[in-house]
Amino acid sequence: MAQTASAGRRRSELKRLNLADGLIVGFLALFSLLILYPFYNTILISVTPQVTYIREPFMLFPKELTGVSFRYVFENKAIWTGMWVTVRVTVLGTLYNILLTVMMAYALNHDYPGKKFFVGAILFTMYFGGGLIPMYILIGDLGMMNTLSSMILPTGINISYLMVMRKYFRNIPEELEESAKIDGANDILIMFRIILPLALPMVVTFVIYYGVERWNEWYQGMLYIKSASRMPLQLILRNIVANSNTILASESMQEAGILPFADGIKMAAVIVTMLPVMILYPFMQKYFVSGLTAGAVKG
Amino acid sequence: MTVKAQPSPARKGVRLRRLLREIWRNRFMYLLLVPGLLYFAVFCYGPMYGIQLAWKEFAANAGVVGSRWVGWANFAFLFKEAEFWNAIRNTLTIAGMQIALAFPFPILLAILFNEVWQPGLKRVMQIVSTFPHFLSWVILSSIIFNLFGNAGTVNNMVVAFGGQKLNFLMSKEIFRWLLLFSLIWKESGWNTILYMATISSIDQSLYEAATIDGANRFQRIVHITWPGMQSIVTATFILRVGMIMNAGYMQVLTLYNPSVYEVGDILDTYIYRITFQKAPKYGISTAVGMFKGVVNAALMLSAEAVSRRLSGEGLL
Repeated sequence: MAQTASAGRRRSELKRLNLADGLIVGFLALFSLLILYPFYNTILISVTPQVTYIREPFMLFPKELTGVSFRYVFENKAIWTGMWVTVRVTVLGTLYNILLTVMMAYALNHDYPGKKFFVGAILFTMYFGGGLIPMYILIGDLGMMNTLSSMILPTGINISYLMVMRKYFRNIPEELEESAKIDGANDILIMFRIILPLALPMVVTFVIYYGVERWNEWYQGMLYIKSASRMPLQLILRNIVANSNTILASESMQEAGILPFADGIKMAAVIVTMLPVMILYPFMQKYFVSGLTAGAVKG
Repeated sequence: MTVKAQPSPARKGVRLRRLLREIWRNRFMYLLLVPGLLYFAVFCYGPMYGIQLAWKEFAANAGVVGSRWVGWANFAFLFKEAEFWNAIRNTLTIAGMQIALAFPFPILLAILFNEVWQPGLKRVMQIVSTFPHFLSWVILSSIIFNLFGNAGTVNNMVVAFGGQKLNFLMSKEIFRWLLLFSLIWKESGWNTILYMATISSIDQSLYEAATIDGANRFQRIVHITWPGMQSIVTATFILRVGMIMNAGYMQVLTLYNPSVYEVGDILDTYIYRITFQKAPKYGISTAVGMFKGVVNAALMLSAEAVSRRLSGEGLL
């Protein structure tokens, strides 16, 4: 970090800022604003009363705030059951993903008879698979239809993460394992007690990757889940957006004369669904870049 | 010891014993492998037995194995379907648009980011631009519907400036562009990271020397930054072209509607539709999947071969 900073300073001493710098920063700033605006707009709609929104459909600052849309969302039971399903899928799924990936990556970093065959068999699945219907039939045959496991077990291992993880293990000095072996520890013990703590940053990185993927789960839910009580949050959101009637049925509020604002409710549901990612995002920063670059850039 | 002659039985025995000893010595490694291998066996190889459906007429009561063989009838049926060819045409068109525009954009972004000298500003802009990558297409499509819907923010602006309302989501002319720009919006920032990391590994003294020699910004980009990232751009390009049969399944599935099937229905969504929305004909759906899988695998392997020839290294 210090090196790049000093290089930057040296470069800026060599050359003063000019028009081109302004244009570049301007372009990138505009791009960033274009990324942000839809989210900002989403937040605004979710907290604006319908009357205000109709009168002033594009606003930069809300003139009037209301919690009505969020109240409608939170009084909807489907949101809560969906949240509970998604939380379970995310926790169990991430645990399952990371355990499988770490164990396999560690084992594939060593040599023993048959290893080449295993690697070949794994890589083959990157090129070819059964496809949608064979998978659908398999889930049925395994008795996993309409169960949470249908959204967890098929996710297993992401091969790119597996390969990055394996590369990371390769950089840990072998002497550590050897000395532990002399002390009589077996490979599994060595992995969990000695190697994993050293690889913690990488493990955290992939916990985040997997965690976000599981949180975003909806597709397998759409294919395999039939009962409403087992639908993940994202699928509930999809239903709300496709058919706002599903969420407008908050009787207590309508009796109290609080009218629903369909767009506001939809956008409030969007925010509830993306909230965990939004909150964790700034803290994830330092991790997620390392996972992407560790495997790709040859040092 | 490089004896090529047939090993004597005694030697064979020694070798076998050595192999068994080697396996026993690594028994815990195999144990570590078991869960992962089980996963690949069940969920990656397991479905492959269902591929036979491509040559069968699926009957639910008979199961996969018991269903009747029909030879190439499913494929013959498919090749006469206009919707199938439409899906292929859309897949290639949309993927082609992505390769032409969504692929180079992050490269441009990375080069521009590298020209920003204020580290704080650069960081903030990068953090902002990678954010949409972490959200699902369900969330993003909800936001897009709200923005571009008939009564959405964009149309309200159009009207406010005296224009005519546009039906962005149902227009055959616009839909593919909506796909393209929403993809650029979601993934460009994320795809920039790889290129940024490559650029940051370029020797900084090259820039200083060039500046002292009087090279301007454009010359520095052309002669230092671009050559430094060329090999990784080649690799990602080959990989993207190899995956041309994929035009964004989740994105299309969440964004499209019947009025844009003609321009938006790609192979993956076609398979999904004929399986779950029309009267299900598993044999035909599997045949489409099979067709896509084989073409895809052939393209990926060619991409791998091209990459090996160009750089001496595989992609994966």
